[in-house]
Amino acid sequence: MKPRLIVGIVFMVLFTSLVMYNFSQSISSYVDFEQASTLDGNRIHVIGEWVRDEPSSFSRETMTFSFTMKDESGNVRQVRYAGPKPNNFEQADQLVVIGSMRNNVFHSSDMLIKCPSKYNDASGMEFTAVE
Amino acid sequence: MIGIIGSSAIILAFLSAVAATIFYYLAAANKYHNAENVANFFYMLKGSMVLFASGLLLYILLTNQFQYYYVFNYTSLDLQTRYLIAAFYSGQEGSFLLWILCGFLVGLGILKYTEDTYRSPVMFFMTLTQAFLLSMIVGISLYFFDLGASPFRTLFSEMSDAPVFRSNPDFIPADGSGLNDLLRSPWIVIHPPIIFIGFAMMTVPFAFALASLWKRKYHEWIYPALPWTLGANLALLTAIFLAGYWAYETLSFGGYWAWDPVENASLVPWIFGMAGIHTMLIQKKSTIAHKGSIIFAVLAYATIIYQTFLTRSGVLGEASVHSFVDLGLYNQLLLFVLTITALGAGLILYRYKELPKPQKEAALLSREFLMFSGAFILFMTGFVIILGTSSPILGRLFVANPTPPDPVFYNQWTLPFAILIAVFTVLTQYIWWKKQDAESLSSELISPTFAASIVTVVTIMLADIDNLWYMVYLFAAYFAVIGNSIIMVRLIARKPKLIGGTVTHIGLGVLFLGFLGAAYDRPLLDQETRNYNRAVLAGQVMDSDGFPVHQTIEFIELERGKPKLLDNRYMVTYLDAEITNHNRPGEQRYKIHFENINNPDDQFYLYPIVYPMLANSAPGAIEWTVEPEIRTGLTRDLYMYVAGSALVDQEIERMNRETAQQGMQTITGMGADQALAAEEQNTVEIRRGSEITFGDYTVHFVNFQNVAETEIEDETILAVRASIQITHNDTEVSEVVNPLFVIFDSDEGPMAYSPPSSISEFEASVRFTEVNPNSETITLEFDGITGEVTRDWILLAAEHKPFISVVWLGTFLLMFGFSISIFRRWQDQKKREAKAKAEKRKIEEVHLEEEKELEDIIA
Repeated sequence: MKPRLIVGIVFMVLFTSLVMYNFSQSISSYVDFEQASTLDGNRIHVIGEWVRDEPSSFSRETMTFSFTMKDESGNVRQVRYAGPKPNNFEQADQLVVIGSMRNNVFHSSDMLIKCPSKYNDASGMEFTAVE
Repeated sequence: MIGIIGSSAIILAFLSAVAATIFYYLAAANKYHNAENVANFFYMLKGSMVLFASGLLLYILLTNQFQYYYVFNYTSLDLQTRYLIAAFYSGQEGSFLLWILCGFLVGLGILKYTEDTYRSPVMFFMTLTQAFLLSMIVGISLYFFDLGASPFRTLFSEMSDAPVFRSNPDFIPADGSGLNDLLRSPWIVIHPPIIFIGFAMMTVPFAFALASLWKRKYHEWIYPALPWTLGANLALLTAIFLAGYWAYETLSFGGYWAWDPVENASLVPWIFGMAGIHTMLIQKKSTIAHKGSIIFAVLAYATIIYQTFLTRSGVLGEASVHSFVDLGLYNQLLLFVLTITALGAGLILYRYKELPKPQKEAALLSREFLMFSGAFILFMTGFVIILGTSSPILGRLFVANPTPPDPVFYNQWTLPFAILIAVFTVLTQYIWWKKQDAESLSSELISPTFAASIVTVVTIMLADIDNLWYMVYLFAAYFAVIGNSIIMVRLIARKPKLIGGTVTHIGLGVLFLGFLGAAYDRPLLDQETRNYNRAVLAGQVMDSDGFPVHQTIEFIELERGKPKLLDNRYMVTYLDAEITNHNRPGEQRYKIHFENINNPDDQFYLYPIVYPMLANSAPGAIEWTVEPEIRTGLTRDLYMYVAGSALVDQEIERMNRETAQQGMQTITGMGADQALAAEEQNTVEIRRGSEITFGDYTVHFVNFQNVAETEIEDETILAVRASIQITHNDTEVSEVVNPLFVIFDSDEGPMAYSPPSSISEFEASVRFTEVNPNSETITLEFDGITGEVTRDWILLAAEHKPFISVVWLGTFLLMFGFSISIFRRWQDQKKREAKAKAEKRKIEEVHLEEEKELEDIIA
C-alpha cells in the first residue's frame, strides 16, 4: 500500500469518528415535563401545545413571557420564556421549548414554533427560531 | 372541468415521460434505428403537456377559482397579481410542476447542444428524473396506493367530510385562505423559480456522469457538463442569497442563515457542485480526478433528491418541528432517492476498475493534488452538514426521539474547513498559473502573507477579537482575498477572460470575512440591563424561587418621550406610534429617534413596523408580526424591531372586544356590580381651584360660571356651570369645557339635570353630576376617559450587526465570478465542438476524395 493512501484512510477514520462523536453529543431527545424535571442541563427540549384557555402574559418586571403548555404526554405546566411573546405565537400548533424545569415551572431560553405553513416548499420560515 | 383537463394533461405528461425514458434507453442502447426520434416526440409531447397544465394552473389561480383546493389554500381575493402568479409554486404540487417545467427547458438545451455520443444516454437519465417528479403530481388512485397529489384536485375531494360539503356538495368558498403576509415580498417571490432552475441544471452533470459510465467515455463529458454545473451553482447561490436576504429583512430572528434543514437542502448540493467543478477542471489536465468528477456530479444531484425527501416527506416533521404539508409522498420520494442513489453507486462500482487512474502519484505541491484536496475538503464540509440535517434519522443511532443538533455543531465544524478552503484557494491559484516548487512558492507567498497579517492584526485590535480560532479564520479569509487579488491583477494584464476563478475566490474570501460578523452581533442595551446581564452571567441573579437565572435580556423597554442611553453611545427616544394602515390594514409605525452623544450631527429617525396578520389569523387569535427596520452601514447594520408595545396590547384588546361583541350581540347591558365599578372608575370629586391627576390626564376645576338668564327655564331652582380644564399629561394637549348642572322643579319634586359636554380633543365627554356648596366641591363623571393609567411603552430589540454588507458584497463577487466562468467554459465547449466537427468533416472529405479517386481509377 502506498503511504499516502494509508495516511488518507487513517485520516478518514479519525475524521468520521470525531464527527459522529461530536454529532451524538450535540443532539438530545425530546422529553415531556415529567422527564424534564429529572434531567440536568439548560438545553432540554419539550414539545407541546399552548393551552389557550389559561392566561398568558408578559411581565415587564422580569421581562419574561409566561404561558401554559401541555406536553405530548398530557402534562400541563407553566412555561416562562425569556423574551417578549414571539411573533407567530398565536398561530402555532406546536411549540418546542428549550430550557430547564425548576419547581414545576419550565424556564425556557429558546422557543421553536411550528406553524401551519402556507408556503411549505420554498422557505425556511415554517420553523422560526426565536431567540 | 378545467380540473379534469389539467389532471389529464399531467397524466399524459407522466405517461409520455415514461415512454420517452424507454425510447431514450433503446436509442442509447442502439436497439432501434429510429428510437431517438420517437423518444424526442414523446419528450416534446411531455413538455407541451407540462406547459399546458402550467398555463391552466395559472389560469385558475388568476381567476380565483376557489373550488380548487390549491387555489383556495394559497390565494385570496385581495392578493396582487404578482402574488397570484407566485401562488403557482406556493405549495408542494405547484413547486414540483415548476421544477418539472425547468427540467424540460434544460432538456431542450441538452437536445440542442449535446453531441451524438452522449445525447441519448444523457436524455435517458434526464427523462427518468422527470418521470419521477411527474409521478408526484399525477394524483391518481390505484388499487393499493395513491400516486402523487394533483394541483388540480378540488376542495370537495380534499375535504368531502366537512359539514359544509355534506349539506351542499357544490359549495364554493367566497374567498381563499390567502398568502402568508411574511411571504408577500418580492425577494421570496422570485426565489423558488431560481432554485428550481438550479435543481434542474444540476441534473445535467449527474446525467452526463452516468452517461459517461454507461458509454465508457470517461473523459469528454466534462466539457459540456461544466457550463451547466457552473450555471446550476450560480442559480443555487442566487436563490440562497435571495432567501437569506428575505429572512434578514423580514423575519425577526435577526439573521440571514440559521442552519435550517430547508436552507441546508440547497447549500449542500452547492458545495458538492463546487467540488465537482474543481475535479472537472483538473480532469482536463490529469487523470487524478476522473473518479472524483463522476462521484461529485452524482452526489450533487443525489443530495438534492435526498434533501427533497427530507423536507417534503414529513420525516423531519415527525421528529423535529419542521413542518411541510405531508402529501403522503413518503414512499414515492423514498423510491426516488433510492433509485438515484442505486443508479449512481451501481454504475460507479460496475465500471470502477475501468475508470482512468493516474499513472503515478501526483506530487504534493502539484496543482492537481492541491485542487483535489480542496475538492475533498468541500466534500467533508457537505458531509458534516448532511449529517446534521439528517438528525431525525441518524440521531436514532444515539438517542430516541432525537432533536436537531445544536447550531454550534455546524459552526464548529465548518469553521476549520473554511480556514482550509480559504488557504487552499491561494496555494492552488499560485501553482495553477505557474509551475512552482516549495521554495519559489514560499517566496511568492511572502507578500500576501505579510499583507494579510497586517490587516488581521488591525482588525483584531479594532474589533476586539479574543477567540484564537476567529483570529486564524480572519487571517485565512484575508489571505484568500489578498492572494487571489494579486493573481487577478496579474491575469487582467495578460488574459482578462480567465479571471472567473480568481474573482470567485475573492468573493468567497470576502464572504468568509462577512460571516465572522455574525459572531459579533451585539444588542444595544442601556447600562442597567447590561449590569443585570453581567450579573446573570456571573450566576448572581436568582429568581423568586431562589434558582439562578440563566437568561440574559436582549431588549429594552422605552417609555414614550423618556430617552435611554444605549451602548453608551446613542440617546434613544420613542417619540410616537400611529396606525398608518399603510401596506395592510392595522399596520402601525413607530417613530424612534437616535442621537449619538459623541457626535450631535449623527442623529436619525427609524421607523420599525408592527402589523396584525389579519389574512392568516382566526378572529380572536390575531397573529402580530413585525417588519424589522434596518439602517445599513458600510461596516455594520443597525437592526431593530418593536417586540411589543402598549399600542399593540390596546389593539389586541379592542379586537377581542369587537369579536366578543359580534359573538354576543344578544347580551346587552352590564350587571349592576360592573356598572357600579365602571362608574367609580369614571367619577372624580374636585374642589374649586384645585387640580388632580386622573389617569393619563390632569383635571383642573377652574371656577364656577353663572348661567345666562336666557338659558334658564321657569322651573329652574339652581343652574350653574363648572369651568374645567383637561390636559393630557404626555402630549400636553388641553381643552376647557363648561358642563352644566341644573336642579328644577317637577311634579315629583326637585330633579337634577346634567347633560354631557363633549371634550372633542379626546373624543370623550363629561357630566357635572353633583355639587356641594359648603365645601365647594363638585363631582364629574367622564365617559371615554378613565382613571386608569395607560403608560405608552415599547419593547425595543436593537442590534448592531457587523459586516452584513460584506456578506452581500462577497455574494455578488461570487455571482460575478461564476458568470465569467460560465461564459468562458461555454466558449471553450463551443470551440471544442467546432474543432471536432471540422475534423470530422475533414475525414469525410478525405474519404470522399479517396472514393472519387477510386471511382476515377475504376472508370
